[in-house]
Amino acid sequence: MIGKTWIVVAGDAAVGNLIATARGFGGTVSAAVVGPRAVADTIAGGGVDDVLWFGEPGKAPVEAYAGAVADAIAASPGIVLGPTGPSARVLLGAVAARMQVPVLTGGTTASADGDTVLVTRSVFGGIADEINIVAGPAVLLLDGGQVSAADGSAPVQQVDCTPLGITVVETRPSHLAHVDLGSAVRVIGVGRGLGAKEDLALITELAGASKAEIACTRPIAEGLDWLARDRYIGCSGWNISPEVYFAIGISGQLQHMVGVRGAETIVAINSDPNAPVFAEADYGLVGDLYKIVPALTKALT
Amino acid sequence: MKIVVAYKWASNPQDATVGATGAIDWSRAKPGISEYDPVAVEMARELADATGGEVIGLSAGTAAVNATMARKAALSRRFDRAVIVADDALASSGSTELAAVLAAAVQHIGDVDLVITGDSSIDVGGKMVPTVLAGELGWPAIAEVNSVTGTDGGVRVERATSDGTEVLEISGPAVLAAATDAAVPRLPGMKDILAATKKPVEALTLADLDVPTTAGTVSIKGTARPALKARKGQMIDTTDPAVAAAALVAALRGTGAL
Ligand SMILES: Cc1cc2nc3c(=O)[nH]c(=O)nc-3n(C[C@H](O)[C@H](O)[C@H](O)COP(=O)(O)OP(=O)(O)OC[C@H]3O[C@@H](n4cnc5c(N)ncnc54)[C@H](O)[C@@H]3O)c2cc1C
Ligand SMILES: Nc1ncnc2c1ncn2[C@@H]1O[C@H](COP(=O)(O)O)[C@@H](O)[C@H]1O
Repeated sequence: MIGKTWIVVAGDAAVGNLIATARGFGGTVSAAVVGPRAVADTIAGGGVDDVLWFGEPGKAPVEAYAGAVADAIAASPGIVLGPTGPSARVLLGAVAARMQVPVLTGGTTASADGDTVLVTRSVFGGIADEINIVAGPAVLLLDGGQVSAADGSAPVQQVDCTPLGITVVETRPSHLAHVDLGSAVRVIGVGRGLGAKEDLALITELAGASKAEIACTRPIAEGLDWLARDRYIGCSGWNISPEVYFAIGISGQLQHMVGVRGAETIVAINSDPNAPVFAEADYGLVGDLYKIVPALTKALT
Repeated sequence: MKIVVAYKWASNPQDATVGATGAIDWSRAKPGISEYDPVAVEMARELADATGGEVIGLSAGTAAVNATMARKAALSRRFDRAVIVADDALASSGSTELAAVLAAAVQHIGDVDLVITGDSSIDVGGKMVPTVLAGELGWPAIAEVNSVTGTDGGVRVERATSDGTEVLEISGPAVLAAATDAAVPRLPGMKDILAATKKPVEALTLADLDVPTTAGTVSIKGTARPALKARKGQMIDTTDPAVAAAALVAALRGTGAL
């Protein structure tokens, strides 16, 4: 039996998968929640045994609580689960350092096996899966997932702490639309084969005709900034499992393709017959996307 | 400002192969400076030039990190000098162990104002070395930083969040992980490559540093090739795009994908 499992919450209550995983270990489940009280209350109603809450953050970002979270968890160590976002990673890094324990990233499943936990994770950009035996305190990063309300509510205990010296001095909202690619049935991924931002119009038309969500490779979101950062797929972005994925002007590098391995059907459109994407496609169309995409839109309308 | 840039000497897993038993063969993969680390170098250089100060490259790994080729590749980047922790005992170290070594090296360097890292390493790619490093030092950390400027006694950074841009002020030393597109790294030219041999390097081993021991709570049970769906690999002739499109739509409708 596993004694204690911690869940680290970094301002975002989307840790449902973590709570379910921790519950599966069989021991007690405590949450360390940084962020507004409402987040702590959501977690308290989500099936954990108790909640430590670090107070209203005001102008302090989540990261300012790294030391306080590390202190609290190190005082009663266990296996620590946390989500993969940038602020969560800072909290989890401080916890791993304070307890001087290993960190496991890329986790896909974790389950109890006697008094140890078996973790399967995708390693080295996804070329292999590794199975780890966790026999004591360690930090494990897993994808979040929405919290579903459980019966009752766990007690919320406020921790008095002094945040580190970081302050939010300005926020500028972005105008890029958000999307939940995780539940999309059809997804069109666009890569650097697209010549200009305006040409996204071609992709938008195809998305309309096929009722698909638009996603992209990392350089399209980071660097070119043509689409929002929460729209790229791959080892550092979304893992999706739609009915069909259209890879358009995408070379098919490992770091991108690991994110679409769950797709039922993969269609690749690329002008280079040797592009690696074709090796992982169900249907391959070698040619200019500027000719094929409009034809496809037309065939669908 | 005294700025340390952590860079990793690593191979692209795209060039490694995984055998039927799950054993990973890296022999055909050529190591280099990890893909995103030059972004961190550029960010550090611009900040150091604006505030006055030096940029020190820091890497930890096996003896390979201190080989002539690796040293040259690193020092032809825009560092003023480098500190290299090369020890074969680090061959299978995880993120916590590596971060502990880097933290000990930062303490060894002394009076460091800022550590800048890349977003993720090309091999492990866990994005955790910078945050554990900050934890070891007891410094604040911010990941996915887009820009940094100096302030009186600290830095001001901008980062992209899921809702837009946030500007943060940090007092005292900190660890920043640069976003992948935070700066455009310069490729080293002939002059940089020649200058590389003249830059000072301090080579250390674990015996020179005070590194805490990481708990041995995790072991490897095995590795395997990921179970991949079988793909049809059917090529559709695109001589006439309209015919190709109709064929694809028919095929997708047939399988129920559309
Ligand atoms: C640590 C690390 C993590 C990473 N994580 C991710 C990740 O999570 N997600 C991700 O996507 N990437 C990631 N990358 C980057 C990844 O390695 C690739 O660089 C990236 O996916 C390539 O994007 P692309 O296919 O759009 O561009 P390119 O590789 O440049 O491919 C463009 C393709 O378009 C084709 N093309 C050009 N013109 C046309 C045309 N007219 N019609 C049709 N086809 C055309 C070309 O033949 C080419 O194959 C990561 C890299 C590293 C090092
Ligand atoms: N062994 C290492 N030596 C120096 N820097 C490293 C090392 N490992 C990781 N880093 C730094 O930490 C960043 C993130 O790496 P990772 O956590 O492995 O994804 C890299 O881009 C480097 O800047």
